[in-house]
Amino acid sequence: MRTDLPGNLMRLTPYLLLLLAFPSQGFAHRLDEYLQATLVAIEPEAIRLQINLTPGVEVVEKVLALIDPNKDGVISTKEGAAYAELLKRDLAAKLDGRKLEIQVISWSFPSLAELGAGTGVIEIEFLAKTAPLATGSHKFTMENRHLPKLSVFLFNAARPTTDSIAITQQKRNKTQSKGEINFTIHGS
Amino acid sequence: MQKSALVTLLILLAHAGFSQPASPPTPDSATGKITAAAKGFLATLDDAQRQKVLFEFNNENQRKKWSNLPSGAFQRAGLRMGDLTKPQRDAVWGVLAVALSKSGNEKVRQIVEADEVLKNSGGGGRPTFGQDEFFISILGQPSPADPWMLQFGGHHLALNITIVGEHGTLTPSHTAAQPAIYQLEGKTVRPLGRETDKAFALLSSLDEAQRKQAILGFEMRDLVLGPGRDGQTIEPEGVKGSALNEKQREMLLDLASEWTGIMYEAAAKAKMDELKQNIANTWFAWSGPTEKGKAAYFRIQGPTVVIEYAPQRLGGDPTKHLHTIYRDPTNEYGAKWWKK
Repeated sequence: MRTDLPGNLMRLTPYLLLLLAFPSQGFAHRLDEYLQATLVAIEPEAIRLQINLTPGVEVVEKVLALIDPNKDGVISTKEGAAYAELLKRDLAAKLDGRKLEIQVISWSFPSLAELGAGTGVIEIEFLAKTAPLATGSHKFTMENRHLPKLSVFLFNAARPTTDSIAITQQKRNKTQSKGEINFTIHGS
Repeated sequence: MQKSALVTLLILLAHAGFSQPASPPTPDSATGKITAAAKGFLATLDDAQRQKVLFEFNNENQRKKWSNLPSGAFQRAGLRMGDLTKPQRDAVWGVLAVALSKSGNEKVRQIVEADEVLKNSGGGGRPTFGQDEFFISILGQPSPADPWMLQFGGHHLALNITIVGEHGTLTPSHTAAQPAIYQLEGKTVRPLGRETDKAFALLSSLDEAQRKQAILGFEMRDLVLGPGRDGQTIEPEGVKGSALNEKQREMLLDLASEWTGIMYEAAAKAKMDELKQNIANTWFAWSGPTEKGKAAYFRIQGPTVVIEYAPQRLGGDPTKHLHTIYRDPTNEYGAKWWKK
């Protein structure tokens, strides 16, 4: 879970160096936004959130300040876990109006070089265990308040893997920082 | 009576291509020609090059090693076009010429040319751009019977062509362009121009009620199921094929043919037949401006297809930087024909 970059390069504010190494125009890599893409999997006894985060080269320093606060050029296991928890605190998830307790399940970070280039994707997965969902209609809502000024969002329901769950409607606000998934549980 | 029942059963099995073991192609068949062309390309290589270009068919890491990103930002394996001799490069294009349709081959050439234009317009340095930065790799051995796979890709292009006997598929693949419009030898070239124009034509054919369903009320700033999202599926949205009239359904299929039709004719036809069968359950969604020429996102999603088209805000005018993805959630990498 550790991601290293040569120490001397790190000490020379590597993110800026990486930015300077790229052409001034936005060729291929993300620039001034932090893409946060959430896929919501509704399961019979859980809600799973897979969030992929891609910081652009012009915002990566702000994001890395949260991920690598000691600026030693290494994303340690502890720092990775801390960032996942930080993101978790910025998520507000509810099922049928009741707050869901979500847990961090896993996280992975690309190399700092990839992050600095605007091509690295951070993957963090969360799980909210629920009681077996009753037959009938349900509503899941989520708001992502993580770095909203830097970010663009995607919010989508995954196709359920069981026929007993049917997604009936998805709603988002304009930026997709807030999403709602209406679904039905069919009886066996 | 028993004989006619057997004939009927054989006809049914022949049409249900996915449920039968792949039958070997004849040398004159499309996959036979592709196999022969790939063997011809391999014959132009020395041992070291062959070792570099060939991978085990079950190499999942290599199978999924593709991206929209350029060299320098993403490390591809296989042989780099810039490291090949002209006859070897010609042989690569020869394989693609038989694996792809005429229009598909032209589209791919234009995407590669666009990257050369990008390089010459100031995109030098790292990451690196241009026609030399495209890679070819082969998983398995080109064979009339055993599954094998041809990968060709670089910045803004990832072709994943799996051949299994007489079957062939392009999914998942990525086409894109930057610049999406450029001049070459006095002509204006738009590698993804037909996709753009057909999508706007379909949108403008929708009546008010259909538009209300098709147009999503939120921004779509990127592909949802882009590179790296293998195995993920999303719930469809937009207007359903069953709510379209016959003409609109034809327009939707014609739009989808810009991706399905990249492959050689027989594979393109088989895929299009499948899409036609599923047209009532195929959705069309739109996000963004509706005026022709503006940058807007759209998605086609059916039981065996997901196509997304997403203008990118990276590098200025988003109408000049387009990304697309083409997937089949039921048959990624042709797995239904070979996976036990």
